[in-house]
Amino acid sequence: MSAASSFAPVGAVVAVRRRLQRRYGLVVLGLALLSLAVASLSMSIGDYPLPLADVVRSLLSPFTGNADAANDFIVLGVRLPRVMAGLLSGAAFGLSGIVFQTILRNPLASPDIVGITTGASAAAVLAIIIFKWSGLGVSVMACGGAVLTALLIYGLAWRNGVTPYRLVLIGIGMAALAGAVVSYLFTRARIMEVQEALSWLTGSLNGSTFENLTPLAVALLVLVPLAAVLSRSLRTLQMGDDAARALGTRVEFSRLGLILVAVLLAAFATAAVGPVSFVAFIAGPIARRLLGPSGNVLLPAALVGGLVTNAADFVAQHMLGRNQLPVGVVTGALGAVFLIYLLAAAHRSGRGG
Amino acid sequence: MSLKTLAATAFATLLLSVPGAAFAEAWTYADGSGTTVTVNHVPTRIIASQDAAAGLIPLGIRPVGIYADSAIADAKALEGLDLTGIEIIGEAWGEVSIEKAAALKPDLIVGEWWPLDNTWSGGADVVNALKPLAPITGPKQGASIVTLIEDYEKLAASLGADLAAPEVAADKAAFETARDKFKAAVATKPDLSALAVWAGTDALYVAATEGSSELMDFASWGLKLIDPVIADDRGYWETLSWENIDKYQPDLILVDNRSKITMETAKAQATWTTLRAAAAGQVTDWPAFWLRNYAAYATELDKLSAAIAAADVSIGD
Amino acid sequence: MSPGGTSAGLPPAARAGGFVLLAVALVVVLALSITVGARPIALSDIWNAVTAFDPTQTNHKIILDLRLPRTLVGLLVGAALGLSGAILQGATRNPLADPGILGINAGATLCVVLGISVFGVTQLSGYVWLAFLGAGAAMLVVYLVASLGREGATPVKLALAGAAVTAALTSVTSAILITNVQTLDQIRFWQVGALTGRTTDILMQVAPFILAGIVLALLTSRILDGLALGDDVARGLGLKVQRGRAMVGFAAVILAGAATAAAGPIAFVGLTVPHLARAFTGPNYRWILPYSMLLAPILLLGADIVGRIIVPPGELQVGIVTAALGAPFFIALVRRRKLAEL
Repeated sequence: MSAASSFAPVGAVVAVRRRLQRRYGLVVLGLALLSLAVASLSMSIGDYPLPLADVVRSLLSPFTGNADAANDFIVLGVRLPRVMAGLLSGAAFGLSGIVFQTILRNPLASPDIVGITTGASAAAVLAIIIFKWSGLGVSVMACGGAVLTALLIYGLAWRNGVTPYRLVLIGIGMAALAGAVVSYLFTRARIMEVQEALSWLTGSLNGSTFENLTPLAVALLVLVPLAAVLSRSLRTLQMGDDAARALGTRVEFSRLGLILVAVLLAAFATAAVGPVSFVAFIAGPIARRLLGPSGNVLLPAALVGGLVTNAADFVAQHMLGRNQLPVGVVTGALGAVFLIYLLAAAHRSGRGG
Repeated sequence: MSLKTLAATAFATLLLSVPGAAFAEAWTYADGSGTTVTVNHVPTRIIASQDAAAGLIPLGIRPVGIYADSAIADAKALEGLDLTGIEIIGEAWGEVSIEKAAALKPDLIVGEWWPLDNTWSGGADVVNALKPLAPITGPKQGASIVTLIEDYEKLAASLGADLAAPEVAADKAAFETARDKFKAAVATKPDLSALAVWAGTDALYVAATEGSSELMDFASWGLKLIDPVIADDRGYWETLSWENIDKYQPDLILVDNRSKITMETAKAQATWTTLRAAAAGQVTDWPAFWLRNYAAYATELDKLSAAIAAADVSIGD
Repeated sequence: MSPGGTSAGLPPAARAGGFVLLAVALVVVLALSITVGARPIALSDIWNAVTAFDPTQTNHKIILDLRLPRTLVGLLVGAALGLSGAILQGATRNPLADPGILGINAGATLCVVLGISVFGVTQLSGYVWLAFLGAGAAMLVVYLVASLGREGATPVKLALAGAAVTAALTSVTSAILITNVQTLDQIRFWQVGALTGRTTDILMQVAPFILAGIVLALLTSRILDGLALGDDVARGLGLKVQRGRAMVGFAAVILAGAATAAAGPIAFVGLTVPHLARAFTGPNYRWILPYSMLLAPILLLGADIVGRIIVPPGELQVGIVTAALGAPFFIALVRRRKLAEL
């Protein structure tokens, strides 16, 4: 909403607003449909041969009672939780990323780059290798590690307030430290524990169940509305500290609240599926490009996150030869490509990252 | 579909399945974790861990699927076994494809019970993935590979294997010959001491006898193994800095042969030859943790017997 | 203004004296590195190992074949990391430039992993060329990526581009390692960054590169002092800015690449040492560079010695010790500075 528009005739303003709303609606609808398409594809293709009709029948079996134990296990016990894990964790990562990028005013900043998921990783690897935990214990440690790291970064970056650059740089320092912890633990562990830790570190949707998705789902239910409420002040913050202060927003309060929400989203997503790299990084910028210069980017970013995660998982499962790879391998590669695009685009438009 | 036909179909299914369960011969097995598994027929579609597959295949029980801890090519236990037609459902620790596993329609999962870790081979993630498909069972890893192989014999027999088949019997006979030769070789050199090691670029890891079933076998057949002072958190290894590897001076060094890199790493260290046995070339393979059948055991024992026979016992302390 | 901060350092007359003191300190650390280790060896034995080497004596072998090469590799790697950090910070006028956070570790690791898994390379000496190649390529990519955009390679862009390239390369590395347990078993001891097991072979492989890099780097001090005044002033002084920067970048890649090739990824030494040097020398690269060249091996070998004795009977790898010491320093640095100076 540029200042110029307030001088434009009322009719033109209405037309512009209507056009923007239509674009927003189209983007959201398009992303939702695409997500549904990818989800359907993932639900119907797999190593367990299952005709589409049987997939549908299994999906409906809780209502129709028309059950086939083996098919239902695959559809309801394996594929559905996997798709849901992709959608939910992708949405959480996407939201978390866009909040970080907006608050830190830097498209390169996201929880995986600024060290929060690295902190979660170090805690999880500690749980796997030293405490010999698996499953829920690892998730709880990862969650705690993420929150603790975020608090440390914020605390260390605080010096009469927090500047985005300081936050980013201290995050990178913390990431290097957490990385050293992981490297050290790798040399002290039995090789199979290292394997287990490595596959967790890469981020995988393999073996997702509804039980281990529940915490993430509950977290989303609580945090997404919170993010939506706070996002109004977020949009003010986008104009910069001085402008925001002039508009009367309590900058530090909103920033802290939003960062907390973003950290928790990243923490719960990491706990559920591991630190799937780059989803948080790319979801926001993709959504922003689809949406154009204005409009609330939260919902589209969440949808992009879920879509990217599930599409990447489909590629990792079915399109890379005999070996099924964890989803994080594909999102990592995707992230690299997007990064170069982003910087090239910034180069063209003369805007730095 | 009317309610009537639905009910009729359901009833018919019930009628067909109940007698099937009642009349087929039920199969039970008391496994290494201390529980007894029951299947309502003799299982024929088995998914096995790499180790269980290495135990069962030579006895004539072919699994339909195998999950391994690494790429199949690196799985020492499976070396030399014919795996044609067997689906590989996992090639990393803790990872299996549930869909591939389900598509095999298994009626039994066979792994090994790890009493120290309180889990089945493959770890909790694999167990959780496979448990919904079929009961999981298998022998316990313990104090002897021979006992473990005998447990596989019992399991295979209950699954319908013919242990008297010529090739199966020949494997066992070859093992018994090799074992007797090993005992004889050890008996002629009562003073020979041996040390089992794994070599990394960071340090030399010296194995405790009770940490490995085959070392327990060797000891029970008379081989004098040097037992290290266990000082680290790994439980069964003593970590020796490459500066301190001459702490023990055995007559014969056994080097973990799961990967050939281990021997290369050992030889590349400047101080390796400060072990007098290494300088004298009295080094042979230690089939560490992977032996699961008589044929492989016989081959490895013959190598050891030859090394023992050739060893000069005045080398070590 | 120079990233050296407000301190002007020692008075010029004292700088030479400080340099001599550092040199003495380095000699002491070198001696300690040869005398302190997992195995207690009497000083007389050490003396004999050097003067009257007897290959049948285990202690002599350990001194000459393990501790001496390890110490010399530490010396060269330290000097290389310190110098490459100093010249990178000067050339980019970026006090946070460090080869370690600019992606070279991930690049080197990926290349070594490929070498082990695809080409069957199994020994440390075989990793050297691979790591060298990977480190150089990754650093180049990070710099190019960060230089895109109007304001060029700003500190934050460099750091983020380094982190992002690292994440991307790491995912490829993971894909290979997940099903390749033998490669994983090898790489985990390399990627932690260590001087353990570095033999004379490795020393000989990297020494020519590091020595050439050191000469090249020391020759750039005039360029760096010029660049510190800003590109326009430097041009006014008759400096060929682009060519100068390219030369510095080339020297930095050779030094950091060879260091990583020899010891594996070691973070934070290249970052912190130049700042310590500036505290003594003030913003004058003619002094910063030699000071960095001496300070870095003192720190690296010091960290290595600490690692040898802190967790008996094992060792803490030097990469862990430098990260544990360097990360707090880095954070303190970021906190201390007003961001406008970056």
